[in-house]
Amino acid sequence: MFRNSGICLVAEELWDLLLPKKMAAIANCVRHALVRNACLLRVMLPRTAVVGIQQNHIHTKTWNQFYALHKPSLIQRVISPKRLYSSKAPLSLDFIQGRVLLVLKLYDKVDPNKLTIESHFMNDLGLDSLDHVEVIMAMEDEFGFEIPDTDAEKLVRPADIVRYVADKEDVYD
Amino acid sequence: MAISKNHVLKLYKTMLRESEKFSSYNYRLYALRRVRDTFKDGKSLTDSTEITEAVHKAEETLEIIKRQVVVGNLYAAEKLVIEKKAEKELTSRQGIRESCLDGDRNT
Repeated sequence: MFRNSGICLVAEELWDLLLPKKMAAIANCVRHALVRNACLLRVMLPRTAVVGIQQNHIHTKTWNQFYALHKPSLIQRVISPKRLYSSKAPLSLDFIQGRVLLVLKLYDKVDPNKLTIESHFMNDLGLDSLDHVEVIMAMEDEFGFEIPDTDAEKLVRPADIVRYVADKEDVYD
Repeated sequence: MAISKNHVLKLYKTMLRESEKFSSYNYRLYALRRVRDTFKDGKSLTDSTEITEAVHKAEETLEIIKRQVVVGNLYAAEKLVIEKKAEKELTSRQGIRESCLDGDRNT
């Protein structure tokens, strides 16, 4: 049973690898074989694989091993799966501060001349609670993470926002 | 039961977030503008019955927005020219990708 699943895996990979136009017919062959009998598959697949190989100029030695079809590790060797992680750009306190101030300067209800890092939204900049909600939404969009309402109501100056983002992103300069 | 300030602010945020999801430029901007203006006008309300009524109406409108966002996404049209240009200015890499896709579509 394990061998059958091995064959199915191999067949699927062959399907992916041999897809270019010349191989369409052979791939179809393999596909049909998959749908029908497993025994039939065992008979058909090696033949189609060999035929496919010769037309595709793949190294015969590797494919003869494939033809043997007895080692699941072969599948891993031919299609080596890799894990690729991505990460965000490294943040620093200055970078966060620059971005926060830029977003605030772009907000049309804020006077850029009066804006400093310590200016209070409500008292100094004359924003109201609705504007505050919009500012927090802009910060969420800028830094890419959600700020819950309980935390949001405590963020009343740009400095608070910078400190909050630094806490969340683990930035310790 | 009196409507709390936090409830109204949460509703405001939810409505803005849902309105941003419209795929049509016109609907999206209209919804955003209308939500902002209605909440700004409603700031001056003091009568609790009026406030509750306004909040209920807003919650109904939120449901409408959610439904229409889904419907609009089912039959999304091409982006308008102004939207395309804005994207190109904002993110050059994505702009190149977008312009390549446009090229494929136009030919």
